[in-house]
Amino acid sequence: MPIYPLMPPLFAAVTLIGAFVGWTVWRNAGLSGRRGALIVAPAAFLGPFLTMVPLQSCTFEPERSGLDLGVGIAAFAAGAAVLTGATAWIGRALSKPGGWANLDDRAESGSFRGGAPAALALLLPTLAVLAVFLYWPLFETLRLSTQLTRRGNPIERFSCVDNYTELLGPSVEVWFVVPLAALLLVAVGAELARRADALGTGRLAPDLRRLRGWLTVLTVITGAASLFGPEYRSVFVTTMILTSATVLIGLAVGLGIALLVSQPIKGRAIYRTLLIWPFAVSPPIAGILFFVMFDPLTGIVGHLYEALTPWDMPNYRTDPVLARGLVILASVWKTLGFTILFYIAGLQNVSTNMLEAARLDGANAWQRLRFFIVPALTPITFFLVVTNVTYAFFEVFGTISYLTEGGPSGATVDAMFSVWQSAEWIGDGAARSLVLFVMVLAVTAWQFRATGRRVHYGG
Amino acid sequence: MRLSRSILAASAALALIAGTVACSKEDDAAGDKQIDVWIAFTDYRLDWAKARADEFNAKHPEHPVVISGYDSYEVLFDAVSAAIQKGTPPEIVQYFEAATQDARDAVNKDGEPLFISVQQAINGRTDVLGEPVVLDDVVDAARNYYTTDGQFSSMPWNTSTTLFYSNKDMLEKAKVGKVPETWDEIEAACAKIMKLSDAPKHCITWPNHGWFPEQAVAQQGGLIADNENGRAGRAQNIDYTSEELLNFVKWEKELYDSGTYYYSGKQNDWDGPQNAFAAKEVGFLMTSAGDATAIVGAGKDGGFGVDVSRMPYNGDVPYAGNLIGGATLWLTDKQGEAKQDASLAFMQFLNNPKNAADWHKTTGYIPITKAAGALLEQEGWFTENPYQKVATEQLALANGTPAATGVLLGSFVSIRAVLTQAVEDVLVSGADPATRFAKAQEDAQKLLTDYNALYGG
Repeated sequence: MPIYPLMPPLFAAVTLIGAFVGWTVWRNAGLSGRRGALIVAPAAFLGPFLTMVPLQSCTFEPERSGLDLGVGIAAFAAGAAVLTGATAWIGRALSKPGGWANLDDRAESGSFRGGAPAALALLLPTLAVLAVFLYWPLFETLRLSTQLTRRGNPIERFSCVDNYTELLGPSVEVWFVVPLAALLLVAVGAELARRADALGTGRLAPDLRRLRGWLTVLTVITGAASLFGPEYRSVFVTTMILTSATVLIGLAVGLGIALLVSQPIKGRAIYRTLLIWPFAVSPPIAGILFFVMFDPLTGIVGHLYEALTPWDMPNYRTDPVLARGLVILASVWKTLGFTILFYIAGLQNVSTNMLEAARLDGANAWQRLRFFIVPALTPITFFLVVTNVTYAFFEVFGTISYLTEGGPSGATVDAMFSVWQSAEWIGDGAARSLVLFVMVLAVTAWQFRATGRRVHYGG
Repeated sequence: MRLSRSILAASAALALIAGTVACSKEDDAAGDKQIDVWIAFTDYRLDWAKARADEFNAKHPEHPVVISGYDSYEVLFDAVSAAIQKGTPPEIVQYFEAATQDARDAVNKDGEPLFISVQQAINGRTDVLGEPVVLDDVVDAARNYYTTDGQFSSMPWNTSTTLFYSNKDMLEKAKVGKVPETWDEIEAACAKIMKLSDAPKHCITWPNHGWFPEQAVAQQGGLIADNENGRAGRAQNIDYTSEELLNFVKWEKELYDSGTYYYSGKQNDWDGPQNAFAAKEVGFLMTSAGDATAIVGAGKDGGFGVDVSRMPYNGDVPYAGNLIGGATLWLTDKQGEAKQDASLAFMQFLNNPKNAADWHKTTGYIPITKAAGALLEQEGWFTENPYQKVATEQLALANGTPAATGVLLGSFVSIRAVLTQAVEDVLVSGADPATRFAKAQEDAQKLLTDYNALYGG
C-alpha cells in the first residue's frame, strides 16, 4: 500500500482520536483511562488499513479530484471507526471482571457443557450458509464496486472510487441550510429550556426536544440529498417519498380499517378475509393490476372517471406526481392486508378493562384511541414499521417495474430500481447497492432508537 | 421417532444430491459430442427451433443438436458468461443486433476471442456435411450489418425492420387519399383525422425505443458514431447532437405537444402502442415488421382494414435507407473441427430455403435468403399476403452507406437507454431537445469510453 503525503497526518489524527475514545470509555466504565487509551489507539491506527489496502490508497494519489479525496477520507475514517468501535466494545468488556460474559445481555446467557468447540460445531452449518450466501456476496459487492466491469464478460479494471464519486455532487442548497439552521436554533432553545426548567415539570423542554428529534431526521435526510449529484439525488428523494408515504399511509389506513372490522358487526369474518387478500398478491402482480386498471386509454378507472366527471382522465405515465402517487397507492394496497391482519390481532390484546375504565373516566373515542389503544399497539406498530420499510425499500421494485418502469423521466426510480437499471455495468450497480445498504442501515438504526424508546411490551 | 425421521430426511437429501451429481456427469459425457444452441426465445419460436433440430438430428445423428431457450437476451448473456467461466460455453449462441460489438469483443476463459466468424469457419466451402451453404445468399441488409472487418461474422436468423401501419377505414373517412409517406404527409393526414367527428384521442404512436430514432437518423443519412458508424474502426465518439437526430426528436415533440402523438408513457413498451392501434385510439402505428401478422389480425378482429407500408421519412432530405433489427447465431471458437462443422451445418440447415420460408410464415421475420424469398414468391404467398413483402422491399432500398448499414457500438444497450430517457424527458418534462441531447451525448459518451477502456485494447 503506497503512502501519500496527506496520509501520515490522518493516521496521527485517528490514533489520537482513538486514544481519546479509549480513555473516555475506560474512565466511564470505572477503569484506568490510560490503559484504555493504550489499547484503543493502536486499533484506531490499524483501522484505516481495512479500506486503504484494498483501495491501494488510490484516492490519495495527487492527480485525483477533490471528490475522490473526500470519499477516500470517509473510507479512511470508516475503517478507523469500525476497528476503534469494535476494540473499545470488546476491550472494555474483557478489562472488566467477568470477561466475555460482559458482552451478553442480561443474565439469560448460558454456556455449553462441552465448551466452545461443541457450540461451534453446531453453529457451523448456519455459519457456512451465512458465509456463502451473505458475507461472501457482500465482500464481492464491495470489491466489484471498485471495478469497471460489465455483465457478461469477465474483464475487470480497477477504477478506484469512481463508481461512488459518479453518484456524488455535493452542493449547498436552501432546503438543506434551512432545516440545519432551524435544528441549531431549536437545539440551543431546548438546552436553555432544560436549564431554566430545573424541576422538569414544564411542557416547553420536552416539546422542543421532540421538535429537535424531527429536525435531526430532516437535516440528515436533506444533508444526504445535498451530498448526491443531480441524478442520484432524484433517486434518493424518490426513495424517501415512496418509503415514507407507503409506511405512514399504510399504517394509518390499516389501523383505521382494523378498528372498523374489530367492531361487533355482522359477518365481519367475511370482511376480514376479503380485506387480507391483497397480501397474497405478489408485488409485480400488483403492478400489473394497477397498470391495467389505470391504463390511460383502455383502463377501467379512466373509463369510470370519464363517465362520472366531465374531465379527461390525466395520464399517470406522463405526470411525475401521479406516477409516484400511483406507485404509493399500489404498494399501500398490497401491504394493507398484512397490516390489517396484525392490527386486528393486536387490538384483540388491548385490555378491555382498561378501555372500560377510561370510558368511565369520561375519555371520548378519540382520547381512548390516542392515549390507550395506540400506545398499547406500539409493539405491533414497531414490527409493522420494520416490515413495511423493508417492503418499501426492496419489494416495491416489482410494482415499479411493471407499473411505470421508473418513468416518467425517472420520477419513480428508487434506489433499488436504480441498481437494476445499471445491470449492465456491474461495478456501478455494486456501488449503488452499497449506497442502498447504508441507507437501510441508517433507517434501521433510527427505527430502533426512535421506536424502541416508545415501545411498551407491557409486563 | 424424531431421530429416525431426521435420518430418513438426511438420507433422502443425500440421495437427491448424489442423483443430481450422477445425472450431471452423464450430461457431460454426452456433451462431448453434443451441439448446444442457446437462444433467447421461450415461445412458439423455441418450439419451431426444436422441431428443426429434431429434423437435423435425424439426418446427422453423430452430433445431436440440443436447443435451450432463455427468457431474454440478458438472461442468455448471463448464462453464457457463467458457462465461459466454467470453460464450457455452448457451441452456438444467439445475440441480438445491438450486441454485435459485444459479441465481437467477448473472450473465453483464457482471454481469447470467444467467437469465430462464420465466413472464416466455412472457408469457401459450398456445403458442410452435405448441407448447402446459404450464407452467400443472405439478403444485403443483413449481410452488410453483420459484415465486420470484411468478414460475415455471424449467421443471420431472425431479421426485421420498422414498418408503418395505417387504419384504412380511418383514412377513408378522413378522405386521406393515399397512405402518408413523409413526415409532412403524416402531419397533413393527422390534421384531417383529428378533425373527424368521431376522431380518435391521438393520431399516431410508436414505442419509445432507441431503434426508432436510429432508423430516422439512418434514413436521413446521418451517423451515430465516428469511424463510419464504427465500421471503419472501433467507434470512439458518439454523436447524439446531430441535426438528423434532433430533426426527428423535434418532430416527435411537436406531434406530442399537439396531442397528435400518443406516448404510452413507458420506455421500450412494445405492447402499449400496438394495443392503442388495435383499440382504434390512434390511426397510425410504427413498429417492427415482426408484428405485421399480429397487427393485421388485430385489425380483422377489430373490424378495420390495416395498410402496411414503409416507415415514413423526412421528405426534406435524400433517403439513405432503413436498418435491420433482430438477432444472429454466433459460432464459438475452439470446438474442434468435427463439432464446428456440425454447428455450421446446423446453421445452414436452419436457414435453408424451405426452413427460412417457413420461419418467415411462422413469425413474420423477413425471408433471410433470396432463395427463400423466391420460394415464397413461387408458392404465391406474397400474392395472398402482399403486406408480408413490404419489409424486404424497404430493406432493399438502402444505399449501402455506413449510415444505412447501422452503427456498431460497445455497451449499445445502455447507450440506447440514455437515448430513450432523453426522448422521454423531451416529451414528458418539456426539456429542450438540444440541451437535453447534449447531456445525453455526455452520458452516452461516458459509457462508450468506459467500454473502450475495458475492451479497446
